[in-house]
Amino acid sequence: MPSAFGGRPMIHVRNLTKHYADLRRGKFVALDGISFDALPGQVFGLLGPNGAGKTTALRILSTILRPTSGQATINGADVVTQPDLVRHQIGFMSANTAVYDRMTAWEMVEYFGRLYGMAPEPLRERMEHLFERLKMNEIRDLLGSKMSTGMKQKVSIARAIVHDPPVLIFDEATSGLDVLVARALLQTVADLRAQGKCVVFSTHIMREAEKLCDRIAVVHRGRLLAEGTLPELLAGHQQTDLEELFFSLISQHEEKLASAY
Amino acid sequence: MNWANVKLILMRETRDQLRDRRTLFMIAVLPLLLYPLLGTILLQVAQFRGEHPTKILLIGGDQLPATPRLVEKPVTAAGAEVFASRHFEETLLARPADKRLLVVDVQPQSLPANAHDVAERQVRAGVYDAVVILPDDFASRLSEFRELLQKRLHGDVKVSDDPTANDKPLSVPDPIILFDAGKEKSQLARSRVAEVLRRWTEAIGQQNMLDSKMPGLAARPFEPQPQDIAATGGRDAALWSKILPFIVLIWALTGAFYPAVDLCAGEKERGTLETLLSSPAQRSEIATGKLLTIMIFSMITSILNLLSMGITTSFVVTQLGPIFPNMPLALPSWHVAFWLIIALIPMSALFSALCLALAAFARSTKEGQYYLMPLLIVTMPLVMLPMLPGMEMDLGNSLIPVTNVVLLLRMLLEGNYWQALPYVFPTALVTLLCCLMATRWAIDQFNSESVLFRESERLDLSLWMKHMLRDREDTPPIGAAVMCGVLILVIRFYIGLKVTMPTTFAQFASQTGVLQLAAVLTPVLLMTVMLTRKPRETLLLKTPRWQSIPFALLLAFLIHPLVIQFSKLVQVLYPLNPAVAEQSQKLQELILGEKNLWLVLSVLALLPAVVEELAFRGFILSGFRHTGSKWRAIVLSAVFFGLTHATIQQSLITAVVGVVIGYIAVQSNSLLPGVCFHIVHNSLALLIAKMTPGEWVNRQPARLFVSYSEAAGWQYQPALLVLCGAGAAGVLWWFHKLAYPKTREEVLHDAIRQQAATPLPES
Repeated sequence: MPSAFGGRPMIHVRNLTKHYADLRRGKFVALDGISFDALPGQVFGLLGPNGAGKTTALRILSTILRPTSGQATINGADVVTQPDLVRHQIGFMSANTAVYDRMTAWEMVEYFGRLYGMAPEPLRERMEHLFERLKMNEIRDLLGSKMSTGMKQKVSIARAIVHDPPVLIFDEATSGLDVLVARALLQTVADLRAQGKCVVFSTHIMREAEKLCDRIAVVHRGRLLAEGTLPELLAGHQQTDLEELFFSLISQHEEKLASAY
Repeated sequence: MNWANVKLILMRETRDQLRDRRTLFMIAVLPLLLYPLLGTILLQVAQFRGEHPTKILLIGGDQLPATPRLVEKPVTAAGAEVFASRHFEETLLARPADKRLLVVDVQPQSLPANAHDVAERQVRAGVYDAVVILPDDFASRLSEFRELLQKRLHGDVKVSDDPTANDKPLSVPDPIILFDAGKEKSQLARSRVAEVLRRWTEAIGQQNMLDSKMPGLAARPFEPQPQDIAATGGRDAALWSKILPFIVLIWALTGAFYPAVDLCAGEKERGTLETLLSSPAQRSEIATGKLLTIMIFSMITSILNLLSMGITTSFVVTQLGPIFPNMPLALPSWHVAFWLIIALIPMSALFSALCLALAAFARSTKEGQYYLMPLLIVTMPLVMLPMLPGMEMDLGNSLIPVTNVVLLLRMLLEGNYWQALPYVFPTALVTLLCCLMATRWAIDQFNSESVLFRESERLDLSLWMKHMLRDREDTPPIGAAVMCGVLILVIRFYIGLKVTMPTTFAQFASQTGVLQLAAVLTPVLLMTVMLTRKPRETLLLKTPRWQSIPFALLLAFLIHPLVIQFSKLVQVLYPLNPAVAEQSQKLQELILGEKNLWLVLSVLALLPAVVEELAFRGFILSGFRHTGSKWRAIVLSAVFFGLTHATIQQSLITAVVGVVIGYIAVQSNSLLPGVCFHIVHNSLALLIAKMTPGEWVNRQPARLFVSYSEAAGWQYQPALLVLCGAGAAGVLWWFHKLAYPKTREEVLHDAIRQQAATPLPES
């Protein structure tokens, strides 16, 4: 389904697999051949329970982990062989990407802007703009250690989008946030979509997925169980509500696994 | 690598560290406070030692002769003799000031039966620090002795011709000094009292001489006078050259460790590492930036400590100078500081890289702190080793990391520049290699997912063994290659302990055979079967292109003269220890004396060629190729190959040959050419040593290339060396042109290296 910003997929994932060596269980499969495409101007949601493999998949897309097999490209750059190109095109934010304690908000965003290779003057302009838009001017000179969770979240967003990347990856970005901050974050994501960014958004909260995502992929135990727009998914599985759909998909998969043994 | 990013990371990390109170305390405040504090304590201790008087009890005061006097004899106003708190005669003291340091209580009574026990109890109880007991008959025997001398002088007593017989009636019972070696103060008292008594005895002897109308100098006609030829400051250099390197290195290590833990483990703990890893900075840029930060802090810590210590010492020296005039503690000169800082740079780099790798491995700062102790346990002996008496620089020591720098530094501080020169190269090479390896290790830690996202795992040895066997790969992992190399070295070491110097060739042959089969072949085959899925691929048992065999054979012939020349150079620069040289000479004679040439060749060429190739170009090289760089794999396997040889000189030469064979093995993707090379290489050395040429050798054109004499054996001339060098380069070029299969890691490595050349796709 082409979006308003062109039909060429920004994120292209084929048969992505990730194994871990585990002393006790032998080979542990965290990702079992998932494939999907995401287009510009689209919010692509990865929905799954904890331990489904969402974080692993997004860490592979952001080149922090290497896949065991399969292919993933971001705007044409391969995550395995061209990690530098990939990292220039993404902004990554997760529950684990924290803010430096001994740096102010301004320094932190500036540091990452410089690492993205931005020249000082355009960087300053961009930062003034971002600090204005995200209402961060009052925490400009506040050290990370003195910030509240919401303030830190704003800094993380500014850090992830300072270089205006075409792709944004949010991994469980709303976990641990209060309702107000979470709502503000979701609004930011919607704004980014309006600017034509391709956003991958993982969550285990149905409401967020329903409200925000253009396409939803349900992931469980490393497998992609279903993928499509919300109406497509509901129609395809004769369900009326995402939560029901989610539970039926997961219990079907569990049954299949149980009968296989 | 983008240096702008490295600089950016360096600046950020430095600022971050400077904002941390703990770091500032460690690098700046601690040294500024520590040394003045230590200096104060030292001064107080010195004052205590210098001024606190020691109490002595003298039992048998009535036995003292009137002259020469041992103890001053004060009297009260009423004329009664005072026995308590007296002092030794001033003439018996080294310095008049020492008088008040020794307080003597004199017990005049004649010795009671249990005086010894009483004295012992008093020393134990600390009432007195030492007790001097003059035996009961001391005075009477001494005066008898003097009378006898007088009688002899006047001819009243017959002097026997046998001098030992004359001494018999002349003995005086010895005074006893009781002290307790378990108490420091008591030991001090003993040394002071012994010194006083020695002078007193000398005075008595001198008086006896005078009484006997003999010159007083008869007993001591001369005394040797030591003269120090060390230049001004040279004596101090000897002490400083031992202390300063130690202080500089220990602080360099400490100064590297704490920032390293904060920069890696701390960042993991606080969750900022993942943020940084998803930024476009490459792992190598992150590691280098952090490494440079740690290095700066390491150097600053070390230099600040040195400065603070220097300033404190200069104060302490001026204070203590009058008390201990012979103390060799003059401040070192500026050239000392210069050499220290020059040596500090590579050492800081090495320690920083080590700390970085360890800290990157740690999951949390707490775990990071745990690694300080193992690191110190490994480093301290290397720093302390040069402080052992008699530890001198030689080739062997110049190859020990850290120790070599300390030894070299010591030579430079002592001003022995020319003696130091030959060791600069090996020291620099080893230090550079260690730095590169440690840095590489640190970068690898940043690249390794299992390290970055490590979860706590219960330690279970049997599970781990099962995992090794169950989840094995086609070819051995890097760890198995290291393990195999270490195992070979350890088994060789233990067999070497049992082996004695052979006396016949048969004995030598069987020893060599056992060593090769038990120490090298067995572990390699066992590990191949147990730890890999594809033994043939692991041991490179593949058919090569047929041309690579004749080319390998040709290369062996071409390289032979070069290796011989290289080993001569090594021998000149770093001569063998005479005992080792004698042994190897004996072995050489044993080998050349054996008539059965086929036996010699099969024991010394065929067997090692097959076995060592299987080990070093088979299992170990295959394992190291997982590092992602064929050159790193070749060099590492060659280092292990070198280490398995007896002397360090041999190890150096074989390691170089190992690089050549490793290259052939990788390029031809087969063990066979290497085995052929190895056989020919070993055989040539044996055959040529055995061969004596005819007259032709002294005529042209042979004279241009070789010469031969009984004493020196074969000599290769420059013309031959140049020809062979060019030929060898040509053959290696042929091997270079071969297409060889790359490992998965090497393919990835190449792809990542080439990404900079790929243009960014339009978005």
